[in-house]
Amino acid sequence: MTYRPKKIVEAWEYNKQWDEWARQGNWSPVGWRWVEGPKGYRLDQLSTANYLVIQRPHASVYHHSYGMTSRFFKGLIEKKLYGAKCPKCGAIYCPPRAHCWNPECRLQETEWVELPLRGEVHTFSVMAFSATPFLKTLPFIIAYVRVEGCCTTVPTRLMKINPWDVYPGLKVNINFVEHPKGDIMDIYCTPAETPDPSKRMMTQEQIERLKNDMQKVKEWVVRKFGSEAKPSIEI
Amino acid sequence: MSNRVAVVGGGISRFDNPRYELHEELCAEAVKEMLADNPNIDYPKDIDAVIYSYFSDHLAGQLCFHWIIHDYLGLLPKPAYRVESGGATPVDALINAYMYIKSGIFKNVLVVGWEKMSELDTPKVNEFIAAASDTDWDFPVGGYYTGYYAVLETRHMHLYGETEEDLAKIAVKNHNNATFNPYAQWRSQHGTAFITVDDVFKSRLISWPYRAYNCAMISDGAACMLLASEETAKKFTDSPVWITGIGLGTDTMRPGDRVDNPMYKGLYPEDETVYPGVSTKTAAPYPEMANFGSIRTSGDMAYKMAGIDNPVKQLDFAELFNPYDGVELTEYEDLRFCKRGEGKTLVREGVTEWGGELPCQISGAHTAAGHPVGATSIAQATQIYWQLTEQTANKWKTTARALSGAQRALLQGHGGTGCQSGVIIFERG
Ligand SMILES: [Zn+2]
Repeated sequence: MTYRPKKIVEAWEYNKQWDEWARQGNWSPVGWRWVEGPKGYRLDQLSTANYLVIQRPHASVYHHSYGMTSRFFKGLIEKKLYGAKCPKCGAIYCPPRAHCWNPECRLQETEWVELPLRGEVHTFSVMAFSATPFLKTLPFIIAYVRVEGCCTTVPTRLMKINPWDVYPGLKVNINFVEHPKGDIMDIYCTPAETPDPSKRMMTQEQIERLKNDMQKVKEWVVRKFGSEAKPSIEI
Repeated sequence: MSNRVAVVGGGISRFDNPRYELHEELCAEAVKEMLADNPNIDYPKDIDAVIYSYFSDHLAGQLCFHWIIHDYLGLLPKPAYRVESGGATPVDALINAYMYIKSGIFKNVLVVGWEKMSELDTPKVNEFIAAASDTDWDFPVGGYYTGYYAVLETRHMHLYGETEEDLAKIAVKNHNNATFNPYAQWRSQHGTAFITVDDVFKSRLISWPYRAYNCAMISDGAACMLLASEETAKKFTDSPVWITGIGLGTDTMRPGDRVDNPMYKGLYPEDETVYPGVSTKTAAPYPEMANFGSIRTSGDMAYKMAGIDNPVKQLDFAELFNPYDGVELTEYEDLRFCKRGEGKTLVREGVTEWGGELPCQISGAHTAAGHPVGATSIAQATQIYWQLTEQTANKWKTTARALSGAQRALLQGHGGTGCQSGVIIFERG
């Protein structure tokens, strides 16, 4: 067992089915195929061979402590945004650092401050493909947002805006999801001002191409996940 | 200690998805090719130590894979190490081998790199690659490397104004180069027809501004290289290629931490002054989230060692780390091929195309030759070795991408979002 704490102060106990699920993914074959494929180290020297391909699942549940940055993530659960402030140089970090990295501060320990729920887009991307946990929410916008007063930027989702209306410098509000779970996805951003069309990064031609792309991505997600599809961008 | 270090051989087992052969079999093929080309290598007797390069334990579900490779290659009980630094792993392995020989402890050091990424579906591969990013911060937002590199490119576009078309031109250059490369995944999967800018625009959007043809492939493959001391090199070959410069550099794990980074602030003042007025200036204007500081630092170190002050004039060609096309454009600036913000000019003027003043990615590199992470830079180094020793025409069975008389080339590789970078300068003897 990992982490046998002296005392559990408060908890959202995880469903023990996850332990069973992790046990089931135990590296043992659940299927096989005898296939025909190419053999050879160069394209001009290929022959054909047979290969046995097995299917071998594996899964785990990590019991992960957020260490000295725990206040930040507990703050998310309480719907409060915290930053770490260095008492020596005054820098405010969000993402927080428990020790200041400013070379002059010699790894000074930082202090917690509550941050305003306002920031500015530093840069962004429109995601049309992702990895397993997030495919259902495609397409979505990721943005690195500088929370007001901070010297670092936070990776976050940007919602309730057309992707072509996003640009670096756009002012945003930081919001909490209804049911925070204790990771950075507990917050998301929404525009705090009406986007200025003159600051768009895309031409009309690019916007049309992107609209078409968004449509194709949504169709793909709906085809793959049916009623579970939850595209994050409305066109 | 003043011993120079030579490259005396290299080999590649082609990049594709999938390669059904086992990891160790791919490595054996690469080593076999090198041995076939260099009958003077008394194998395994001449190998003093081996450095192994593979990126991920997750992709194969196997830790310490190099122990499997090492005994498979018949190299027991020789010393062997694994190097692990994300995408920088293979260039790092070469640099470590160089330092092993420089230390005087070993004379001939073999470097073997591989990756098999085909065992998992593409979303899962993205997820496992992204395990190399901060799993408390960047990872849970779901951008993964396609997203991280896209936001970096968006920032560079915002500051310096390159367009999707500039990125597409880089894709066209690299894919068309790869159509001649008999080790290239693109050629295996798509044949030898050239592509156009329009084809790039028609390829699937992945993470704006990147489309499928702008992104590295997911690949299986292997490569190897043998480095030797000056003293032993002449036994193996009359035409060694010398390593005349190496460089290393680092930047933050989380790209979002780069905006005001006190460690880069003021380090490259000339690049802070060219910062345009289109956006709020950050406290550390170079590299912030637009350029790659680790690449600048590693490049400068290697240039200094090799006596290079005008890379475009003094280098004949380069193989860069290009997981996404905006990275190649930015590297032109970070490696001082041009001033900051002028990467797009090099693209538009064709400077880095075949026939240009400084061709980049003649192999096709990550987006077209393929990117089995632990093998990629070693395969690029082997392609450099073949170009500098004028073996490319023979290896590729065409003169279409074979240089003649090239003297000096640069290899650059990095990991993460430029968290760690390495540069090597190769020179013909
Ligand atoms: Zn401080």
